[in-house]
Amino acid sequence: MLKRMLFIFLSFGVIAFAANVGDLTNVKTLKVDRGLTEAGKSCVECHAKLTPGHVNDWKESRHGHVGVSCIDCHSVKKDSPMAAQNCEGIKGTEIFVSSLVSPKTCERCHPNEVKEFQQSGHARAALQIQAKEGMISLMEYFEGRNHPDLKHSPEATGCMQCHGSIIKLGKDKRPTAETWPNYGIGNVYPDGGVGNCKSCHSGHKFSIEEARKPAACASCHLGPDHPDIEIYNNSMHGHIFNSEGSTWKYDSAPDAWEPGDYRAPTCATCHMSGIGNLKTTHNVSKRLKWNVWMPISKTREGGYETAVKDFENGKITKGNALAGNPDGSAVARTEMEQVCVSCHTTTHTKNFFNMADKHVELYNTYATDAKKMIDELTKKGLMHKDKWSDKAFKIWYHLWHHEGRRMRQGALMGAPDYAHWHGVFEVQQDIRELKIIYEKRIKSGKIEE
Amino acid sequence: MSCNTEKKIKSLWFIIGIFVLGGIIGLLFSFGVAVGVEKTSGDKFCTMCHTMQPMANSYYRDAHGGNNINGVRAKCVDCHLPHDSLANYLFEKAKTGLHDVRVQNFGDLESIDWEDKRKHAKRFVFDSGCMNCHANLQNATSSNTKAFIAHKEYFEKRTDKKCVECHKNVGHHILGDYIKK
Repeated sequence: MLKRMLFIFLSFGVIAFAANVGDLTNVKTLKVDRGLTEAGKSCVECHAKLTPGHVNDWKESRHGHVGVSCIDCHSVKKDSPMAAQNCEGIKGTEIFVSSLVSPKTCERCHPNEVKEFQQSGHARAALQIQAKEGMISLMEYFEGRNHPDLKHSPEATGCMQCHGSIIKLGKDKRPTAETWPNYGIGNVYPDGGVGNCKSCHSGHKFSIEEARKPAACASCHLGPDHPDIEIYNNSMHGHIFNSEGSTWKYDSAPDAWEPGDYRAPTCATCHMSGIGNLKTTHNVSKRLKWNVWMPISKTREGGYETAVKDFENGKITKGNALAGNPDGSAVARTEMEQVCVSCHTTTHTKNFFNMADKHVELYNTYATDAKKMIDELTKKGLMHKDKWSDKAFKIWYHLWHHEGRRMRQGALMGAPDYAHWHGVFEVQQDIRELKIIYEKRIKSGKIEE
Repeated sequence: MSCNTEKKIKSLWFIIGIFVLGGIIGLLFSFGVAVGVEKTSGDKFCTMCHTMQPMANSYYRDAHGGNNINGVRAKCVDCHLPHDSLANYLFEKAKTGLHDVRVQNFGDLESIDWEDKRKHAKRFVFDSGCMNCHANLQNATSSNTKAFIAHKEYFEKRTDKKCVECHKNVGHHILGDYIKK
């Protein structure tokens, strides 16, 4: 008897547990009636049961507060390339929707944010990959082994998760598995929209607090080639954030998020926020003096990013690697210094950038020497045809793409371990190795086995 | 009365006559022009060329083409000509008209990519036209949060987006479907 009771008791426990685990939210019986259209209401009410996570996020968002609901962003005109009626509730009606929401929708209410974004380096993220033959061959041919069925997995699970993809649709107007889902920042949508607001303001809640925290940038800006979150953590800014950032205020209005709300900057503070006289911008390249990701660093004198404009004119291009401030790199630096001096003295700021700039220039001397050796070897036919199995090429690649970026980015963002041990120390080791191979090949006139 | 005075009076009458006659001719002419401008501003004239039929058909099914509770209809030129000044209006009308006549008679109509042209709608739909009818839009939307937020940047002149860049199908109900047919 006792056993049976215990068993029944346990069964109830298991059932109750299972019932609650699936319950992500308390919105299952949501009834809304505050200025939404009939269709808008029925989306919210039905999706509260179907996809409670989505509705729960929306419920806590500013969009929810001002009456912008599912249908306002997800509905498209019947003649849109993305128009579908896969949802049972709208089949046969005049309403067409798409799971994809392109920046062309966001810009109806946020035109300046989208425009600034499109003038920034972020906007080229997906297009530049498609424009570079070398990138496609690395992803599909070398990494994907040119396998007829499997060759797209490296880009779908890797590159485009951050960079974004040119999203393709299947017959049912649903996006293909090769191109979506991803949180890539430079997504290209079938309606021609470029960009992805939810990369930083994750879907359905679109929170400003979330985007202002380093975590928003960290999911992409990490790892051997641009360890920006590690760099941040290594810096004094990151140290302060990590010890007390949970107590700061993140929801002040744009242009009004000032020191005091926080005690150290996050990524957003320096690269985007309005501080003092500086205006908020979604152009993350606007305050950058240098391009620190290319093989050799140049100052950013290219004005605005051009990839989106090119795409609108029917071309897929690499964009403008030297995009930055429309008034040139000196103004960009002045703007960044304006951020710094809201907490630091001018001497502190100037001295810091003085030495950081020298570190970038020092890197350039290494890169120039290395490039000269590679160019000469290439000219003399002393490089492997398959460059990924060429030792000299691999050293050069790591020198600029990994060690060199860490050296430069570490210096410009105050991260000693990255500027030095992961940076210049590795770079000087690389160039020694490269020089040995170079001299061997020049002397013998052939590629070593 | 001397011969000279008679001559003077005659020539005075002559001058007055010229002005009166000129005035009458001018009035008739401008009446003709006004009628001409009027007659060439709506769907009847614009669809004389069959090329424009899909645009007309989609327009008839749209609120702007009369498919609304009051049956009010905006003419083609209400949207497709600028309304900022009379000179600009007439100049653009002449320019567009001549262009269309040229392409209709001498151009390769088959090769026109209408879907592609729609991407540049802002070049041939004028905000001054929209605002000519929707003159009260700013006041009317400022108390409606949803409409206010969407139009705030526009009325504050903080964006260079044109009306048709957000209101894509405006004027032509599902234009894409009609172009394809």
